[in-house]
Amino acid sequence: MAESINVEVVYALPQRQEIIRLTLPEGSTVQQAIFASGLLQRFGEIDLDKCKTGIFGKLSKADTGLRDRDRVEIYRPLIADPKEVRKQRAAEGKVMKKGGGEE
Amino acid sequence: MLAAILVMALGAVILGAALGFAAIKFKVEGDPLVDKIDAILPQTQCGQCGFPGCKPYATAIAKNEADINQCPPGGEEGIRKLADLLGREFKSLSAEHGVEKPKSVAFIDESTCIGCTLCIQACPVDAIVGAAKQMHTIVARQCTGCELCLPPCPVNCISMVPLKETVETWKWKYPVVQLKQQQRVA
Repeated sequence: MAESINVEVVYALPQRQEIIRLTLPEGSTVQQAIFASGLLQRFGEIDLDKCKTGIFGKLSKADTGLRDRDRVEIYRPLIADPKEVRKQRAAEGKVMKKGGGEE
Repeated sequence: MLAAILVMALGAVILGAALGFAAIKFKVEGDPLVDKIDAILPQTQCGQCGFPGCKPYATAIAKNEADINQCPPGGEEGIRKLADLLGREFKSLSAEHGVEKPKSVAFIDESTCIGCTLCIQACPVDAIVGAAKQMHTIVARQCTGCELCLPPCPVNCISMVPLKETVETWKWKYPVVQLKQQQRVA
């Protein structure tokens, strides 16, 4: 119905989070929103080949179409290796709170 | 005689039409009292009051189904404002619903976050940016400090950091508290 959609593009660092509000034509994609946000120029470390993107916590490819009020998110890779963390916790004898049986 | 009756009748018709028009034109959507109560509540959506969010709690207060002292984030100041608005007695915060803490926001320790998305699912205000196996980050401006993300985290990488009082976050303190303190000192 609406010819333009309002979306947000987010890039979050621990101490600084940038939220850019955009009005884009209907049918725009994740990639177009990220280019339009100007975040790539402001944060040189964003490499779209390596950093994954998504909409509201769901990983989405760069050519995914956007809907009104979507929040496009640019993610950063993990620092911790989940398997290592799990091994460490097992070695320490701690019970995982989730999926660990009791509790 | 007839003229007088006609004048009065005409007046009644005009005033009635004006009132009828105003009733339609200035109709208030929803319950204004609920909105007023909701405006006082801190909008943390933390659920400590026993309701799923601030608006349901406000609705319950308006219906007299809940007491005004069940909101720990709002603290004594919030209870005072609610008491003023509703013309009720001030009560101290009910202990079973929690204690008042300084306003904080959550912070993720990036060296231990494993990207499990459990905190994202728990966050009532979508203040956490992240996806499966990607780094999760809290948008401090949107975080309400509700602490709902703390229990689901399997690696305990989220901590609460108290907010510093800045020009942007400073609010007028409720004057009664300070006046009493001054009296005690004197």
